[in-house]
Amino acid sequence: MMILITGGAACGKSYLAEQLVAQFPGKRYYIATMRPWGKDGEAKVAKHRAMRAGKHFETIECYGNLAGVELDDPHSVVLLECITNLMADELYDDEGNERPHDLVFSAVMEGVKTLSARCENLIMITNDVGSDGMTYDPSTAAYVRMLGTANCQVAAMSDVVIDMACGSPLVVKGSLDWMDETKEVCA
Amino acid sequence: MILVTGGIASGKKTYLEGCGMNKAAVYDVREPEASTASLEDAAVVLHVEELVRQKAISDEVLQLLLAKEALTSTEVGSGVIPLTWDDRQFRERAGSLSSALAKEAAGVVRMVCGIPVVLKGAKAN
Repeated sequence: MMILITGGAACGKSYLAEQLVAQFPGKRYYIATMRPWGKDGEAKVAKHRAMRAGKHFETIECYGNLAGVELDDPHSVVLLECITNLMADELYDDEGNERPHDLVFSAVMEGVKTLSARCENLIMITNDVGSDGMTYDPSTAAYVRMLGTANCQVAAMSDVVIDMACGSPLVVKGSLDWMDETKEVCA
Repeated sequence: MILVTGGIASGKKTYLEGCGMNKAAVYDVREPEASTASLEDAAVVLHVEELVRQKAISDEVLQLLLAKEALTSTEVGSGVIPLTWDDRQFRERAGSLSSALAKEAAGVVRMVCGIPVVLKGAKAN
């Protein structure tokens, strides 16, 4: 099963994602995409690490080339957090040069497709960054547009799509009726 | 009239195309030259928020928009307060325009990752 969760910052996406992970058997992988830049970046990474502590996740750090991530258990459940960072990671190479946008987009889409084939259940987190009405420099504008398109394509592939606000999930595709909320992620 | 809103590249136009939008009668405010109809004649107007940027909204234009079959309006209000007065005015007026259009619309649809979420009335098809 593939599940996509979208929503603004700090609206409870990770919490729901971890609850969803608990619904599935098999080994748990957490794919971390955020480079811990700056104090707030480090704090966010620490917060997510604390949330995952004792929950039996194997953490894989991935700052680009998602398709290259190998999993040793094909029946696993994977939490990918998040497509927003993944796209930003792909946008620049290690020297800080901007990569061609078609390669950036295809790396993200191929990464998601490859990953979904390598596990049993995949839960993905993303954001909507294209609703602020601002005009950006060309590369940021291209990033916003590519992320929007990737979100549409990943949602089309997904069985369930959830729009989160204030910790409340709005299911916009599929259903969460099967979910057992008493299942704890550390069980 | 059906109003379709959502962020950048959230699938607004693709949704209307899937509903059987008449491609021969579309005015895209961002791309007038590439449009198949004028603002006056079009059945569908894309990116009405750009009319705000062009300061082209009047009572007459509002009535014109309300008489269309479908409109798309990009969501512009979910970010930090813009630094410049122009950007703040744009955001205020584009938001107000969408609200004014939605009030009179038969249907309002918000696109989430390419998925239509009905906020009011019926879908476009």
